Amino acid sequence: MMATLAKAALQLLLLLIAAPLLSGFIRTLKARLQMRRGPGILQPLRDVWKLLRKDMVIPETASWIFAATPYVYFSTAMLVGLLVPMIATAAPLRLFGGVLAVIYLLALGRFFMALGALDAGSSFGGLGSSREMTISAIAEPAMMLAIFTVAITANSTDLSEMARVSVSQSWKFLAPSQMLAFSGLFIALLAETGRIPVDNPATHLELTMIHEAMVLEYSGPYLALIEWGASIRQLVLMTLLVNTFFPFGLSANWTPINLIPGLAFYLLKLLLLAGAVVLVETSNAKLRLFRVPELLAVAFILGALALISTFLF
Amino acid sequence: MSFLHDPQLGNTAITLMAALVLVLQIAMVAQRWLVTNIRVFGVQSFVLAAIAATIAWFNHANHLYVAALLMLLLKALLLPIVLERLVAKVGIRHSIHPVINVPLSVLISGGLTLLGYVVAESFYHPEETSTAATLGHNMLPIAISLFLIGFFMIVNRRNGLTQVLGLLSMENGLFLAAISLTYGVPLVVELGIFFDVLVGAMVLGILMYRIGETFDSMDVSRLRRLRG
Repeated sequence: MMATLAKAALQLLLLLIAAPLLSGFIRTLKARLQMRRGPGILQPLRDVWKLLRKDMVIPETASWIFAATPYVYFSTAMLVGLLVPMIATAAPLRLFGGVLAVIYLLALGRFFMALGALDAGSSFGGLGSSREMTISAIAEPAMMLAIFTVAITANSTDLSEMARVSVSQSWKFLAPSQMLAFSGLFIALLAETGRIPVDNPATHLELTMIHEAMVLEYSGPYLALIEWGASIRQLVLMTLLVNTFFPFGLSANWTPINLIPGLAFYLLKLLLLAGAVVLVETSNAKLRLFRVPELLAVAFILGALALISTFLF
Repeated sequence: MSFLHDPQLGNTAITLMAALVLVLQIAMVAQRWLVTNIRVFGVQSFVLAAIAATIAWFNHANHLYVAALLMLLLKALLLPIVLERLVAKVGIRHSIHPVINVPLSVLISGGLTLLGYVVAESFYHPEETSTAATLGHNMLPIAISLFLIGFFMIVNRRNGLTQVLGLLSMENGLFLAAISLTYGVPLVVELGIFFDVLVGAMVLGILMYRIGETFDSMDVSRLRRLRG
């Protein structure tokens, strides 16, 4: 029992600190690629710290949903973080359904976010919610299909079990099903984390924003929780991507000697994936909103093909 | 360098490349820009040439090298260049308007892949061990899907030039089926098919040019009316 708590505490700490740092890293790297100086890696942490000490403005029309949303969003992100193996193959928490729990907890957070945005009563919030729901309605099945591909190979939907199996068959990731699933999940990741071909995280331009439109009415500690939660979601999704498809260096148990190289490998893989995301962001323009379903349809089909090809090869 | 002769490696490489060919085919369905479409077709032909060369390497089938080389020169280099020139010469607007919208087209392509798999399943008997001789035997479903999706592209598009691309990618599917199942039909037949399609594509290219000149567009649906 104590051991489980210690594992959970360690992973929570890692989630809380690494997530803003990763967002900061992506922002800085992107700025450097565009010949700007950028705000520095620590900026998202500073933002959160500052927002936590500020006053809040709550719209008069808002009900309890507006107040509950930041907590639900943040806590579902943390809970999902505990379900995903980060540095060791065994995640600290195992819930029913494994990967299904992950997807639906993320969906629960998103659902509340959309409700909270509607609840604030501004027209931008409604606009953001409807866009977010449209996109996630297509991105979610794509994500599921891609992850199920790995689950079928591993004969289990439990993420820890999936990681254990894929560590044991190290070169399996070169199979076409894995590659297809990876590319499908990568596109879904761009959509879910609001990255450039789908949403631009750096703008408040009313015509294009999705995530920013939803959080427009939030301020102070609530905004801090939402931003922090969003960066944790991003970290969790990226972890899911690197650790299910490239499970090198995941430590087999929770002893300190294995954890340190595990952590190093994990960070290295994360930084590489972040680099890939930044490359996509800088080399592409944002898609028109009505073209986004085309991109996500491709992600969906990639996932479906991956699933078919597990039976094929 | 014994691992270079390991059939397991060949199997991994070939299935990977075949999956890439399929993805490129679907990318062609999803892609709106004519020039990108032509380039994707070039890359697809290049990957097919690589598959042919890999099978030739593991089976010591030298005539397949010739097929791979022809594929590389004609379909990966010559045809894309000719078609791009044609696009530049006609100066048509460069985006494609499919009959069915893009997400649905992509979904239909996915369905056609499934169909290809179902059809090919009755021919497919997975061998226990992968040896050089059985290399690429699981390529038939992909070949059939390439063929079906190419056919779908022809039906789905009004622009004549992209219909030619659909025809050419259908031929790519045939090529994949031929090299993976029988290690190539006899070279003479291979050459025959190649030049047949090549000449066909050239003729169609000229025809497209004429259509473009006459109607200021490559939309074949404008060909309905007779002109005296």
